[in-house]
Amino acid sequence: MSGAAAGALRRAGVVLAAVAVLAAAWELYASFGPADGAGIAGVRLLPRADERSMPHLGTVLSTLGDPEVAVPGARTVGEAVLSGAWTTLRLALAGWAVGALVGAALAVAMQRLRLLEDGLLPWVVLSQTVPIIALAPVVAGWGGVLTVGPLAWTPAASVVVISAFLAFCPVAVGLLRGLQAPSALCEELFASYAASWRQQLLRLRLPASLPFLVPALRLAAAQAVVGAIVAEISTGTRGGIGRLIIEYAQQATSSPARVHAAVWGAAALGLLVAALITLADVALRRTRATPGGPA
Amino acid sequence: MSPSTAAPATPGPAGPGATTPMVEVRGLTQRFATAGGTVTALDGVDLAVERGRFVSLIGPSGCGKSTLLRVVADLITPTSGQVLVGGRSAAAARREQDYGIAFQSAGLLEWRTVARNVELPLELHGVGRRERRARALELLQLVGLGDVAGARPSQLSGGMQQRVAIARALAESPPLLLMDEPFGALDEMTRERLQDELLGIAAAAGTTVLFVTHSIPEAVYLSDRVVVMSARPGRIAAVVDVDLPRGTGTDVREAPEFFARVTDVREALRGAPVRAGASA
Repeated sequence: MSGAAAGALRRAGVVLAAVAVLAAAWELYASFGPADGAGIAGVRLLPRADERSMPHLGTVLSTLGDPEVAVPGARTVGEAVLSGAWTTLRLALAGWAVGALVGAALAVAMQRLRLLEDGLLPWVVLSQTVPIIALAPVVAGWGGVLTVGPLAWTPAASVVVISAFLAFCPVAVGLLRGLQAPSALCEELFASYAASWRQQLLRLRLPASLPFLVPALRLAAAQAVVGAIVAEISTGTRGGIGRLIIEYAQQATSSPARVHAAVWGAAALGLLVAALITLADVALRRTRATPGGPA
Repeated sequence: MSPSTAAPATPGPAGPGATTPMVEVRGLTQRFATAGGTVTALDGVDLAVERGRFVSLIGPSGCGKSTLLRVVADLITPTSGQVLVGGRSAAAARREQDYGIAFQSAGLLEWRTVARNVELPLELHGVGRRERRARALELLQLVGLGDVAGARPSQLSGGMQQRVAIARALAESPPLLLMDEPFGALDEMTRERLQDELLGIAAAAGTTVLFVTHSIPEAVYLSDRVVVMSARPGRIAAVVDVDLPRGTGTDVREAPEFFARVTDVREALRGAPVRAGASA
């Protein structure tokens, strides 16, 4: 076995072990912790360990097999979580792609024109302080007002836009740093070749930016997933995991494990997206066969 | 073109019948605006480099020798004065790839193999894949790196990286080679070996070389002429012509003429007057 493969296996083992430790801690507390929590002078310091607050992992797992509603032929909770995660995954990937494209275009423009960098970069960073909860109704309000060609503005489009709004920032900032990474010497070298801006971008700046771009895209993917879930919740878009979390939270009295099942789905979604980017990175490195990381 | 005259007498504007100098700088002044005010990097510099000659620029740091090289390369636009390379403007010479350039740091692109680094200028100028690969391998053979064409720059030693940079500078067979302390970061033994290689390559191709260095022995060993500069503002303080007994079997680095010229350059750097045309 090659050293790289062994290293990857070892890292995977560490991650699994961490999950196992977390699960064991949860189980231990759920089994032996005080059902009503514990505290001093009315301030609760330890959380409740009752079935509603901390369902056993086994209960959450078995909930996945329960039918969602008591009607014959109804889909199971597991199917609902899977279907919700799949819907949200597609919206988040669309948001990620739109955000990455917009971010990349901004980065290239800012690299090209110093004036744009000075004028735009603070706003790019500042944009992330806008709470999505405040933004969501505005974007959702485009429905019925805005049409894109023959297409009307759908709630899904709102989710994509909000998700993209979170995803573009790391790409714009990270790619700009990468595009500015080449040394003054390399820039002089390309100037001495009388290389065009385009040649300099394609042969020098973009290759030099890859070690910055990949982490930026990974961060953007995580942001896109968060953005999509929050957008689903705050715009009331149906079908996704975000909406499912709300619905199941409302059923917490009767079936407390359900909301945990939905949260698991959301977490798995984030992991899946991060894994996809990592796989793409590995494939990219194989074709470039270059040691990664900023020099 | 008239036949090249043996040992051109004086630098300066080309008279009738003389060949145009490879590099001609007249009345060059370069000022930079800095936070602390305007700095005059070069003040009224005149320089002529005849074709096929090896000329070094030497001087204390801040004397503007690298700036002068960059003005010739058209990487900096001079504040005033005229720069001609091969008889045309520096800008035109850059566009037409009349020169190859190498710096103190090799500046290789880490994501390209050694061969593809050498190919870079050819690739940018539309040379076909097969042709540029053949040229790159030929050049790598020339600098003694034929067997590492497929390696990554990071796998090479500093001396080998600098050889790759020189091969890259030679890719388009430029009539002029501009070098900014290319051996400055190398150990003494590697440095001497590369000096000999560079002399051999430049002589074989008849390449004119303008070479910036801060090493007196290096300047003397390599050059037909050493241009000594003084700092603040950068001016040409003296010109020392060098005529070493090359190709006679003696070790030039141990010849008395070598030490004599080293002394001349050292004294010129200290500000002492140098005998005109000191090449006895």
